[in-house]
Amino acid sequence: MRSLSVLLRKDLGELFASRAFWLTLLVIGPLVGQSFIQAVSTYAEVSGGALPQGLSPLDGIVVPSLGAYELAMMLLFPFVAIRMISAERTTGALKLILQWPVSRAAHVMSKLTSLLIAWLLSLAAFAIAMLMWRAYGGHLDAAEVTNVLLGYTLRFVMTSAMAMAAAALVPGAANAAVVVLAFTIGTWALDFIAAGRGGLLETLAAYTPAAALRSFERGLLRADVVLVMLIITVVALFITARFLNLGSIVAAVIALLLAAGAISIASHVRASVDLSEDRRNSFAVADENALRSITEPLTITIWLSAEDPRMNDFERNVLVKLRRTMKVEVRHPLEGRTGLFSRYGEIEYRLGGRTAVSKSTTEEIVLETIYGLARVPAPPHSEAAYAGYPLAKRPAGAALVFYALWPMGVLAFWWASRRSRRTG
Amino acid sequence: MITIANLTAIRGGRRILDDVSFDVRAGEILGVIGPNGAGKTTLFECIAGLQPITSGTIDRGDGLFYMPDGVKPWPDQTVRWTLEIFAKMYGTQTGVSVPHGVVAQTLLSVSFENQRVSSLSKGETKRLDIALALLTPHPVLFLDEPFDGLDLRQMLATMDLLRSVKRTLVLSIHQLRDAARICDRLLLLNHGRVIATGTPAELGDIEEAFLALT
Repeated sequence: MRSLSVLLRKDLGELFASRAFWLTLLVIGPLVGQSFIQAVSTYAEVSGGALPQGLSPLDGIVVPSLGAYELAMMLLFPFVAIRMISAERTTGALKLILQWPVSRAAHVMSKLTSLLIAWLLSLAAFAIAMLMWRAYGGHLDAAEVTNVLLGYTLRFVMTSAMAMAAAALVPGAANAAVVVLAFTIGTWALDFIAAGRGGLLETLAAYTPAAALRSFERGLLRADVVLVMLIITVVALFITARFLNLGSIVAAVIALLLAAGAISIASHVRASVDLSEDRRNSFAVADENALRSITEPLTITIWLSAEDPRMNDFERNVLVKLRRTMKVEVRHPLEGRTGLFSRYGEIEYRLGGRTAVSKSTTEEIVLETIYGLARVPAPPHSEAAYAGYPLAKRPAGAALVFYALWPMGVLAFWWASRRSRRTG
Repeated sequence: MITIANLTAIRGGRRILDDVSFDVRAGEILGVIGPNGAGKTTLFECIAGLQPITSGTIDRGDGLFYMPDGVKPWPDQTVRWTLEIFAKMYGTQTGVSVPHGVVAQTLLSVSFENQRVSSLSKGETKRLDIALALLTPHPVLFLDEPFDGLDLRQMLATMDLLRSVKRTLVLSIHQLRDAARICDRLLLLNHGRVIATGTPAELGDIEEAFLALT
């Protein structure tokens, strides 16, 4: 145990000696500040407007403020992670530490723990933003904020593990950076190509880092998303440990095949919790009970292209909730094609041998159609609508904190860290 | 103490090490000499477990530590930090406090301790590497080119120190006269094969023997 603490001390020492870490920390404050200031201003405008009802701090403040971290996870933190491996390889230190009486897994976990500490330190900017929001009189819901932070942290760990695996697999930090950026761009392409196509491609696209984050940002904690992120992280860590030295390509291929199988199984796990305060991922409780009483599977065939805004509405407002409530199979006969089809715009519902067709994407009409097919009476609704938390306040003091005090604080800690290394 | 039997390492179809066998005896200083590309570094890294072997066996006895040539570990850290990390890693394992200060003072002047590793000269880096190797508790040390970059005075001081540490040493040395001066026994490697072994006296004029055999 004491050996592990020495290992962690070494990796933390290397992290704090890394310019990449301090530059990331320096940049993250103004980025978060810029997003936060803009979000508070926009929130104030909407709150003072004609329709402030249902205004959610999750969408209006929390998620926009975290946007800076998404950027940092794509373009900054991977380089900090790559450096943790490639610097020791370049200087020859790796050949020394691999002879230390600790396992390779311990080396990799120590580096990941150091990176996690760096991540938590960077979250101080977000914490300051949320404290300021509360000081303005803003509302925050603990469950939905915790959920979205969990999503970002899982994504950070997954990205870091993948960056370390790239650094272990390919020679040189620059090559590893190219691999990581190529992967990120590849997932963007997958997001774009797979939307609305259905099948394996769309299943895969549901677990790209950006897509995985979207479900957390909607206040949804999905077991399948968490499991897939953890599987990818574990495999990336395994490959990092194997390829620190004497890597076997056979072991890596076996690990990837096992991961593909595990991801395939995990993608069928349907458990989820709606942690959003406004229950945006759930039907009304009465509707959920009525839908759960329908035992036959529902098949929905959607004659809409992926680019059609109605498809997006239908996915966000209906399909997300339906998948959480009953067994449903969704088909996309257009498979991403666009053009004139005689049935374009139709949504066909099939349940227990009965079929109904509708062009509506609104929740009420869809539920009415399903109840009609299942011959279940529509339940009465008694739940109060989410009132929202409008707040028209200016982001007073935020510019000073994020554009001046944060960079000065980071530079002061950087200087103190360099000084303490020199003087011991 | 350490026994290498029929060690062969093939890389890209080329035999880097070819049926290498030898013993390392307790307390001796064994010098591995040979021309550039003879396979000395590959031999050391295979023995340390840092490179795969194709066939053969390696009995590492009670353990060994290998210090490669040209290592400049953690260049952003100070010499003191680097020594302390090594000392603590092994101190926690053995339960014995490693007197890193003594080792450091022998090899490095005290003024080096607060210098960053990146600012060290080649000779200073080499002395740091040797200090790190001496901080480990292993009974056998494999040192690749331990005198490379040292001036005559530093080399003589380092030789004295290495003789005094009472450890079994295996040194890869390309300066033949240096090898003959410090080593109890020499092993001549060429094209991955052991060409000759013996004491410096048995091998006679080491330079002539080298030229005749390689």
